Amino acid sequence: MTTSKHVRIGKSISWAALIVGIALGLAAGLFYTWEIDPVIERNTVPWQLGDAAREDYVVAVALSYAANQDLLLAVDRLRAAGPNRDVWEMVAGIACDRIKTGKTVSNSDIRVIRALEQLYAPQGASGCADGLYPTPAPVVFSTPEPVQSPTPTLAPPPSKTPTLPAPTPLTAEDVRPTSTPAAGGYALGRLQSFCDPDRSGVIEVRVYDRRGEGVPGLPVTVTWSGSERDSFFTGLKAEREAGYADFAMQTGRTYTISLPGLSAPFPTVEAVPCTAQDGQQAIASYWVNFQQRAD
Amino acid sequence: MSKRTFGSLLVGLLLGLGTGVFLGWGPFPVEYKNSALSALAPHYQEEYTVMVAEGYRVDPEVNAALERLRPLGKENTIAYVIDLTERYISQSNIRAIPIMVALVEAIIGPDNLPPVMQLYRPTPTATSSAPSAP
Repeated sequence: MTTSKHVRIGKSISWAALIVGIALGLAAGLFYTWEIDPVIERNTVPWQLGDAAREDYVVAVALSYAANQDLLLAVDRLRAAGPNRDVWEMVAGIACDRIKTGKTVSNSDIRVIRALEQLYAPQGASGCADGLYPTPAPVVFSTPEPVQSPTPTLAPPPSKTPTLPAPTPLTAEDVRPTSTPAAGGYALGRLQSFCDPDRSGVIEVRVYDRRGEGVPGLPVTVTWSGSERDSFFTGLKAEREAGYADFAMQTGRTYTISLPGLSAPFPTVEAVPCTAQDGQQAIASYWVNFQQRAD
Repeated sequence: MSKRTFGSLLVGLLLGLGTGVFLGWGPFPVEYKNSALSALAPHYQEEYTVMVAEGYRVDPEVNAALERLRPLGKENTIAYVIDLTERYISQSNIRAIPIMVALVEAIIGPDNLPPVMQLYRPTPTATSSAPSAP
């Protein structure tokens, strides 16, 4: 009985076609699951990071170490990013790469190089960034020893009364309105976002003096992406307000606003998408007001 | 093509497809090796954020700190930092709270700091009168 069944099944199957079918199906299944609909990338761990992301991660570890000086914590974090590597060489390599790729433009970049070197150098690693940006030694002010000065002598009286040069008459071209920072400086008075499709992604800056009146002609500087900056002046849109100026942002960027005499922290805003009350999509805009300090 | 061959091919295809899908999603999924920071597990993303906030003490550039957080791919980086800080406060994460509050204060300014964070400010506001002794 059993033999005859096997014979019947064997006769009804083409083994060659079955094997070809399995091979094709397997290939199709793997192609689908690896290429078309792979497992969603989620919950990855630091060792899976790409080179750029690993660099960001190691920079964060180095800055954190520079702040807390917790070497064991830093080692744990670095091992998570490079479990089968010499972590100190990895840090030295990243510092070197940052030098080679010109990531030493801003003060922030240089602090990063210092932090990286502070992490790898004491562990015996070395790289092309060694000593390029040494940490400045703390400045020590020495109290001058009082020395006995010789008896002061009076300055001789002037022999002749000096004559003042005749004043040069100023022409209208010589007189240019200049705006000097207020003696008391400025402080952030208001920082508020709003969503308006007609004024999408705009920083509206207003500068007021002690009396609450707009201050024209004051340079406002906006910085973004570390080293990018732009300056503009208040009061150029007289139809708005005397102390008004505005700046158009680009989506996804973060901007820091400063002006002469402004005490830190400088306000920072981000051009993020927003939905207006009527449902329209826009980029968030900001009201940034500065007020002259009373002192 | 005979019925027998076609039938066998079809059965083989179905068997192979099932096995391939099982293997591709199960024991042998795609292994990502060039991941972005945005793909990190939430725990690592939060640890990265705290590291950046701690680094702000060494590199007091708010813009640079926010640029370092940008690769996390959050829709609104500032809101993310504030939310995480509030969560740490609710969880009494003593180590991370002052670090994160300092960064939030630097980003949005001391006057805009949410009341729940005022307690943890590194530079508390001077009170008008000194507390009296009991």
